[in-house]
Amino acid sequence: MAYLRMRGITKMYPENNVLANAEVDFEVRRNEIHALVGENGAGKSTLMKILYGLERPDRGGIELEGRPVHIGSPLEAGRLGIGMVHQHFRLIPDFTIAENVVLGVEPVRRGLFLDREKAQASVRAVIQEYGFSIDPSLRVRELTVGQMQVVEIIKILYRRAQLLILDEPTSVLTAQQIQKLFLTLRHLRDIGKTVIIITHKLGEVKEISERVTVMRAGRVVAVRDTAEVDERELSRLMVGKAASLQVRREPAARGRAVLELRQVCLLGRGQDHPLLDRVDLTVHAGELVGVAGVGGNGLAELEDVVSGLRRVSSGRILHDGQEITRLDARELRRRGLAYVPADRLHRGSSLTSSVMENMIIASHHRFLRGGVLRRRQAEGFASRLAERFSIEGDPRVPIGTLSGGNIQKVILARELASRTDFILFSEPTWGLDVASSEFIYERIMEIRGQGLAILLLSSNLDEILSLADTLVVMYRGRVVARLANSGAVSKELVGEYMLGLKEDRP
Amino acid sequence: MKPWEVVLSLVHNAVGIMTPFLLAATGGLYTELAGMLNIALEGLMLVGAFFAVVFAGLTGSLALGVALGIASSMLAALLFGLVTLKLKANVFIAGLATNLLASGLTVVLAFQLFKNKGVVRFELGSLPVLSVPALQGIPLLGGLLLGHNLLVYVSWAIVLASVVVIYRTPFGLRLRGTGLNAPTVASLGLRPQAYQLAGILISGFTCGLAGAWMTLNLAAFVPNITSGRGWIALVAIYLGNKTPVGIVVASFVFGLSEAFSNYAQGALKVPADFILAFPYFITVLAMILYSMWRHYRARVR
Amino acid sequence: MKRWSRWRELLAGTAGLSVTLGLSFLIAVALILLLSKQPLATIRWFFIGPFTNKYYLGNMLNTAVPLVFTGLGIAVAFKSSVFNLGGEGQVYSGALVTTVICLALPAANGYGGGLASLAGAMACGAVLAGLSGLLKMKWGTDELISTFLISSAVGFIVNYFITGPLDDPANNLLASYAIAPQYFLAGIFPPSRLNVSAGFAVLAAAAVFFLLNYTHTGYEMRMCGLNREFSRYGGINVSAYVVLPLVLSGALHGLAGGLAVLGTQHMAVKDFSFGMGWNGIAVSLIAKNNPLAVVPAAVFFAWLEAGAKAAMLHSDVTFEIAAIVQSVIFYLVTAQALYGALRRRKVRL
Repeated sequence: MAYLRMRGITKMYPENNVLANAEVDFEVRRNEIHALVGENGAGKSTLMKILYGLERPDRGGIELEGRPVHIGSPLEAGRLGIGMVHQHFRLIPDFTIAENVVLGVEPVRRGLFLDREKAQASVRAVIQEYGFSIDPSLRVRELTVGQMQVVEIIKILYRRAQLLILDEPTSVLTAQQIQKLFLTLRHLRDIGKTVIIITHKLGEVKEISERVTVMRAGRVVAVRDTAEVDERELSRLMVGKAASLQVRREPAARGRAVLELRQVCLLGRGQDHPLLDRVDLTVHAGELVGVAGVGGNGLAELEDVVSGLRRVSSGRILHDGQEITRLDARELRRRGLAYVPADRLHRGSSLTSSVMENMIIASHHRFLRGGVLRRRQAEGFASRLAERFSIEGDPRVPIGTLSGGNIQKVILARELASRTDFILFSEPTWGLDVASSEFIYERIMEIRGQGLAILLLSSNLDEILSLADTLVVMYRGRVVARLANSGAVSKELVGEYMLGLKEDRP
Repeated sequence: MKPWEVVLSLVHNAVGIMTPFLLAATGGLYTELAGMLNIALEGLMLVGAFFAVVFAGLTGSLALGVALGIASSMLAALLFGLVTLKLKANVFIAGLATNLLASGLTVVLAFQLFKNKGVVRFELGSLPVLSVPALQGIPLLGGLLLGHNLLVYVSWAIVLASVVVIYRTPFGLRLRGTGLNAPTVASLGLRPQAYQLAGILISGFTCGLAGAWMTLNLAAFVPNITSGRGWIALVAIYLGNKTPVGIVVASFVFGLSEAFSNYAQGALKVPADFILAFPYFITVLAMILYSMWRHYRARVR
Repeated sequence: MKRWSRWRELLAGTAGLSVTLGLSFLIAVALILLLSKQPLATIRWFFIGPFTNKYYLGNMLNTAVPLVFTGLGIAVAFKSSVFNLGGEGQVYSGALVTTVICLALPAANGYGGGLASLAGAMACGAVLAGLSGLLKMKWGTDELISTFLISSAVGFIVNYFITGPLDDPANNLLASYAIAPQYFLAGIFPPSRLNVSAGFAVLAAAAVFFLLNYTHTGYEMRMCGLNREFSRYGGINVSAYVVLPLVLSGALHGLAGGLAVLGTQHMAVKDFSFGMGWNGIAVSLIAKNNPLAVVPAAVFFAWLEAGAKAAMLHSDVTFEIAAIVQSVIFYLVTAQALYGALRRRKVRL
């Protein structure tokens, strides 16, 4: 019999007319680890937010142990024994572990005062009961990412949750931390809890879950026993067709070294290891260097350092043989360095400004006459770019009214318009639909053919494997592998490097 | 007077004068910890000041005056809170609105009630002064800490209570959690806005008391009697590093600078306007030093 | 379709504003009903009074002039996402500097000396506000509070000069010596005090509009105001745009004070500029920080003040009811619950 049954769940986000969930039926059995998989935007998180009381469905109902229940808020979900670990942790760094855990259900002394001793003791009891080892008096700020996740789990266990929802729990974890998490989850299942784990990593589905529900475009497309499906079939179910990128990569002539990083280090506040640890990297003209890595292993920091938004702690960066280590983003722009950032909605664009104003941010000097901005010329420039990149919409409307794919095209158009010999891409297709992704891949291949030096940072392995000439893998801020991307490099091999299972010392 | 006597009387006066800073800053601390900028301290104090002395004059009871002054100030705080939290107005603009309302309303009412837009005097007894003859003999303690009026000691009690409330109660934990990370507090099913409103109301309470201290001491209402003390209290919160103890120190510094101003006005030949500007210069200077300290500390780490 | 959505945008924007202004009128009426013994007459004087004769009308428009300048000063700062709460002191000290320069040059040419005195006023405001900008750039000192504190301190110093060294014993006012007549700005609507500075105000609004929307500097300023991270990424010198908007804002405030001396006061009067700085903030917010809309918004605010003044002169309420009505506008003008619901932009991700 089903422990949890969600029936006919329909949820529409009126702000953007997205049907996030369409007639979704979802069942979980007691005492199982159930994987909920799907691509970005398939509707997994929405479904779980409904279950946890953070969103209200437009239609549909929820039954727990055969009884219909109404879940209007996280508080009511908690009373029903449902707890959720969010993808982005909901922790207060300045509080101790114990304070974070008891917040909202504090033990009280003499009816009024916070009983700190009892809080510590009862949190410690939960920690021991479930076999964790962590000191509840530590401040969350001092913890590793893996430990923070443990705190999140303790938080819901302290509230006596029977059903645990984990939203993409492995996305920020290292390989060992993932193994530890899975041990914990199995243990929880063995003592009678039920677990729903949201992920889009198929290997993990196979490893941890008993059953799997696949979602695509707001609908459930399959429910299987995990043992009976292989990763290829899951992948086919998730994307609708066997996922393979159709990118033609012509062999290109490698030219001079355009960008060089030499022994670049970046130290972070309160970190036990450097965020970037003696990174050496060279990008030649006509070469695409792809850097792969799991989130939290230095890709974001590499992006900031190469773009001049963050100063290195030591080491040198050279452009065409000239020192640019100390230059800031403005001076790098003057040298013509182009950059498509991962955070395209905040760093890459100004959502309330017009498409035109977004397009000329790096080149508005070109439209000046005596300090006056010639709007007509700027608008003409924007229209021409919009046309060339088939961007829909009037250049005078705010860029925030465009779709994600079109916003990224605007950014791409702007960056490619600056005459440059080097361009940095970070997560260029994250969250985009297939058509937009392919468009962007074509453009990238085109400029590579024109002899630009390209640095591509991406957590999407397929993307890196299909585009890169040279493949670099980062783990804990270090370059752990540098491979020429011939047909011989397999996804599995790169994956082992990414998870720190394997390491070359180049 | 000998120099040390001057210093002693300066410190004694400072301990009294710091009271409105201390009260307003302590109340403002609750709002600040709940993650809201409270620019309305000035206006809330002014409301409290006006109604405390008016009600005391009308009823003839100092206690009733204090109580109703506090109630009026809390009512103004409630308005400020509802406009910010319910109507989602910008907290800083709504704070300015509160200050503007307070200065307009008090003058309009003074005109309406007493046909007077200047200084309004009342026949009032003076606030009870704490004197413990047994302790009076102790040289330093007696001279500095005793002989103030009752509200001064009430303000100390409020500071002590605040240490407990902020750090030792579930309410304090949630309040601080709201300021540090409101989405987390909301994800636990708590309502961050409730704690923010509570913080605003508490600031209304203490500001009402602070205002009452000013007018009941004088037995008169002077238009804009608060004259920027609410702003200085706001700075005291930052300089006190957002802790009650730090606020005591910062308030004392401001109290001392005002006490010195008063002394200088009488004893030294300095124009009164320079003296009045002095606390502001001190405050700006303190703010600059504080931000420099933070700036370089962040670098070193 | 596009045109329709633009119209809807505009309508929704005005709907919120109408609610705000309507409510402030209601409060005004309610206050008068409550406080006045002859409410009908008072209401009439409050709303219509400023339009009943040339003297009142001209003075009302003249009251709007400094508000246009302070409103523009705030709009420049807000568009760049920096705050200037020191308007009061910047206006006041600008007035003092203009007076001092004019008094120092009693026989100079009216145009040359007048321009020099206004330049001094602008420089004074610019330095006061710019100082907060520099502190913010250098050490991150919160400009919101530092502008206020510096301005308050400066206010006392100005008081000292007006009532001390510059005080004219011949008049009974707390005011300085009068400036020489060649500096007086030409009146344009006698017998009222309206003068050519009204024209300057309109020109200034157009100039600030042009600066913000059609120049390099304006573009960079607005971009920094909307999204500092994006601006840094795009290669704009973002730290300069903490200082520059405050310098401009301070200069406009200083100019407000200087022109008030040359056009209206002809001397520095103690506390004459009280409220001009604060009201500039409300004016700018009503105008949604659009420099062209600042002009009608300033006239509207001046109308409230002139109405309150007329009601005070001809009836039995005091002038400060204007402050209460203005505070209602202050409370509601940023209230998103009134504005946002209709206007929320679709931002698809």
